Amino acid sequence: MPCRLWPPINKEDYRGVWVYLEREGDRLKDVGLELLGKARDLAQKLGGVEVAGVLVAGGEDLAREAIYHGADKVVIIDNPDLKIYTPAEYAEAIARVVQKYRPEIFLIGATKRGRELAAYIANTLATGITADCTALEIDPKTRDLLQIRPTFGGTQLATIRTPQRRPQMASVRPGVFPKPPRDPSRTGEIIVEKVEITKRRTRLVSIEKRLEKDIADLPPVESSDIVVAGGRGLGTAEGFKLLVELAKLLNGTVGASLMAVRAGWVPHTRQIGQTGKTIRPKLYIAVGISGAIQHLMGITEAKMIIAINPDPHAPIMENADYAVVGDYKQIIPMLIEELKRLKNQS
Amino acid sequence: MKIVVLTKAAVPLSSAIRIDPKTGTLIREGVPLTVNIWDRDAVEFALRLKDRYGGEVIALSMAPPSGIPALESLIGMGVDRAILASDRAFAGADTWATAHVLAKTIEKYIPDYDLVVAGEETIDSTTAHIGAQTASWLGVPYIYYVYDAEVKGRTLVVRRFLEDEGVDEVYEVDMPAVISVLKGSQIPREVRLSRKLNAREYIQVVSNKELGLDPECVGLRGSPTLVAGMAPATYPPRKKVVIQGEPSEVVKKLVEILKSEGVV
Ligand SMILES: Cc1cc2nc3c(=O)[nH]c(=O)nc-3n(C[C@H](O)[C@H](O)[C@H](O)COP(=O)(O)OP(=O)(O)OC[C@H]3O[C@@H](n4cnc5c(N)ncnc54)[C@H](O)[C@@H]3O)c2cc1C
Ligand SMILES: Nc1ncnc2c1ncn2[C@@H]1O[C@H](COP(=O)(O)O)[C@@H](O)[C@H]1O
Repeated sequence: MPCRLWPPINKEDYRGVWVYLEREGDRLKDVGLELLGKARDLAQKLGGVEVAGVLVAGGEDLAREAIYHGADKVVIIDNPDLKIYTPAEYAEAIARVVQKYRPEIFLIGATKRGRELAAYIANTLATGITADCTALEIDPKTRDLLQIRPTFGGTQLATIRTPQRRPQMASVRPGVFPKPPRDPSRTGEIIVEKVEITKRRTRLVSIEKRLEKDIADLPPVESSDIVVAGGRGLGTAEGFKLLVELAKLLNGTVGASLMAVRAGWVPHTRQIGQTGKTIRPKLYIAVGISGAIQHLMGITEAKMIIAINPDPHAPIMENADYAVVGDYKQIIPMLIEELKRLKNQS
Repeated sequence: MKIVVLTKAAVPLSSAIRIDPKTGTLIREGVPLTVNIWDRDAVEFALRLKDRYGGEVIALSMAPPSGIPALESLIGMGVDRAILASDRAFAGADTWATAHVLAKTIEKYIPDYDLVVAGEETIDSTTAHIGAQTASWLGVPYIYYVYDAEVKGRTLVVRRFLEDEGVDEVYEVDMPAVISVLKGSQIPREVRLSRKLNAREYIQVVSNKELGLDPECVGLRGSPTLVAGMAPATYPPRKKVVIQGEPSEVVKKLVEILKSEGVV
């Protein structure tokens, strides 16, 4: 007898793959569109079921954008009280809609707000949830979603199922799945649902952009084709200045290992790895980074990896396309000089 | 103010994680559990609220008995007392079943709480689920990533930071409530040895005999999610071309590579 708080349900009553479409002001965050792409893939493996999105207090233009990226249907939660995001109220409203339409899978982007919402929604639906999945598959026999996530510090990949409950819920970090191409010829259904919430108990008072002084106004790591990253091996914050200079010459940006972040050399928004960002640049240059498995997890999809490290046996060297054995203090300044010279020539 | 702090006795970041190749489970022997590093931010946050408004700070953890030293160190930091929910039946819990035990322990032993403070996430599970799930179990509002707060009557005015959007937000939350504290946002105070000496006296261990939860709804059996498989993580093959020699030669080769890749 399973727990009576989440008794087994009739799985046949649940069909379709649903995605939460997070808004940032008047636009959709990319992660929702990325998940629509993955949802299409899962829906096909489930025999061509419907792909749908849930949007809270968004316009029809945003719903259409989701349809162009793969949704067959978008449900807009229409409640003037929900114009402004607050976690408890949003989670309750989303759970209500999901409960009504009964998808077999519900995916959420693991942005900061998404991570805040996801587990509360799952609890309201008395179902399980797996955080930060890096792969999602279908077991065709049971229609179970195989929720694959790194665990034990990234050394292992766990496959997790929610065998007795629906929907099966998973969160996925931004950038893990590619964004599907926009196809404005796609059509779909837009449904407006008036959803009531029991009681408002959280209120937004103010919101302001923080003008954080990040290193040298470089673009974020997740949106750069070239990332020059530094680790503890740089020894000092000064070392990072060299990396910034190199990154600028290459039109790229600067990233870091956890240890460099903990040393205070770089803000943690630039951390790459399991507890930082997952990135997929064309070129990743790892300087003074040993290549711990938790770090490697963030760069498995880099097209090319160059490592610079005096230790030929550091794990990063085994995981690089080009393993440069040497001291960055000698190599990087010379490389910078050479690149500058080339630039001046052209 | 009565404040409950949720803290996990976790596998520390510094320890090399070893996996039993046969069972695919974590080898815990010889790995002392310590307070999840981000929970020290949560404890500091709770203690600062107490410094300002008075009251009591109670640490709550679900862990095997090897989690006791972690709670002792929190008593050393200034936490008034601690409760360890510990029972063989709780082993193997997913986040649903963990939050279930935590919430029921709060309802039974600290029913007059004003605030539950969690860390942003644990270093060994990194789900950030437990705070929200505990709020859901308790039926109270919640908010994450808080770094500052002020009490105004029965509401808590919190400041929080969303790293990915780069925004600061101020919210009012009705109490009782659950918050999670932005990791790295506090400077945790030192553990005082004088307090730690008799810390064990301030730790209450409760088992499911006292809590009386349905054994089907705790631990592995009470978890809606199931770990169906475990495999070593593998990574795509790389070229592994080693470049060494005089720095000037190395740089020449690097430039060639960058050129052939169209980077410069
Ligand atoms: C649950 C968990 C999650 C984690 N998440 C992350 C994560 O998201 N991201 C992450 O990065 N880490 C993460 N870690 C930490 C990770 O295990 C490593 O501790 C960390 O990545 C090491 O950082 P590092 O390579 O900078 O430092 P080190 O391991 O100390 O390596 C420094 C390297 O610099 C080299 N070096 C020294 N001098 C020079 C020089 N002059 N020139 C060039 N190289 C030099 C050394 O040979 C060495 O290889 C996590 C750990 C755990 C347990
Ligand atoms: N076993 C536990 N006992 C007490 N608190 C916990 C436990 N696991 C997680 N927490 C709390 O929940 C937060 C988020 O944890 P997690 O969902 O595991 O990332 C932690 O920072 C703790 O405050």
